[in-house]
Amino acid sequence: MRTRARKMAMASAAALSAAFCPSLAFAAESEEVGGISAILPDMLEFVPMLVAFIILWIILAKFGWPMFAGMLEKRENTIREALQQSEEAKIESERVLAEYKQQLADAKAEATKVVAEARETGEAVRQSIQDKAQAEAEDMISKARITIEAEKKAAMAELQASIADTSVDVAAKLIGNDLTEGEHRAIIERYVKEAGSFNGN
Amino acid sequence: MATNRLVTQGKVQIYADTLFNAANDAGGADAAVAVRNQIQELRHLIYQDMDLSLALNDSAYSPEQRYGLAKAVFADCETALTETLAVMVEQGDIDLLGQVYHAYEDVMADKLKLVVVDVVTVVPLDDELRKLIEQKAEAELGCKAVLNESIDKSILGGIIMSVNGMRIDASVLSQLNRARYVLKDSDGGDSQ
Repeated sequence: MRTRARKMAMASAAALSAAFCPSLAFAAESEEVGGISAILPDMLEFVPMLVAFIILWIILAKFGWPMFAGMLEKRENTIREALQQSEEAKIESERVLAEYKQQLADAKAEATKVVAEARETGEAVRQSIQDKAQAEAEDMISKARITIEAEKKAAMAELQASIADTSVDVAAKLIGNDLTEGEHRAIIERYVKEAGSFNGN
Repeated sequence: MATNRLVTQGKVQIYADTLFNAANDAGGADAAVAVRNQIQELRHLIYQDMDLSLALNDSAYSPEQRYGLAKAVFADCETALTETLAVMVEQGDIDLLGQVYHAYEDVMADKLKLVVVDVVTVVPLDDELRKLIEQKAEAELGCKAVLNESIDKSILGGIIMSVNGMRIDASVLSQLNRARYVLKDSDGGDSQ
């Protein structure tokens, strides 16, 4: 960068010397040149140009160069700050990226946990439903058995009652029709002797 | 001040005493027993005949009309009983007949030292059975027993004896009913 600035300063000094000594340049071009003199500078042109160059160089070194150097330094600082900011941004972005990765990992772990919990819950619900269905089935079977047993007992009781009624009715008809007075009196006598007391004993 | 219950008890006792004294004066113990038996039959009759019960309690009739009605209805009873029932109907106390019956039995047992045993059988009793029953009653009750016999074919056999509200049911019908209940209540050995 410094080299580039220096080239620019030299070009500027040449331009200034050309501006201050136009008559000398045109005079030299008008003369006939030959031999070695063709490549050697004309002292009448060279000295003023050298003086002008030195003066220009001094001016530029005194006033132009510090300003230019200040601009370059400012620019350099700006670029450095920008680089630093970009570096910080990069660090920040990497930190954020790491944070995001961590969050993503946490989210994945959480999701895995949720899925596992959901699976466990689902399994528990399935087991609960299965147990409930099993219990209901057993309850229904138990009730059915109880109902069947009750109906069986009721049928047996009804049959038993019917048999008892029939037997007693037959016995009553046999007793009422077949016993003689003597047999009735014998029964009365036996019952009186076997009967309980009027006093309730 | 006497309550209605005491007043009623007093009236019942007066009716019973009056009836017993009149019957006893008229015919002695036999008449007293006959009156007792007639009261018992009349209780059942009035209880079963709703028209008769309503007529005897009908306030539309005057007391004199009710008295005349009772005299006509119960004319075949012992004279003392007819008069007493007529007075009870006249006074509107015929509903007390059940209480009068029990009070009469108590008076009779107290004054005559005898109880009446109502005996229900299928066939008429012979003397031997009468003696057996009287001896049993007298031994257990401690006073003379007189039998009031009746025939009821529906008991099928055996005997029903009752005295002073106590009842011994030794009929074949009740034994068959007990057998019926036992047969119905038994579980056929399922409980074992």
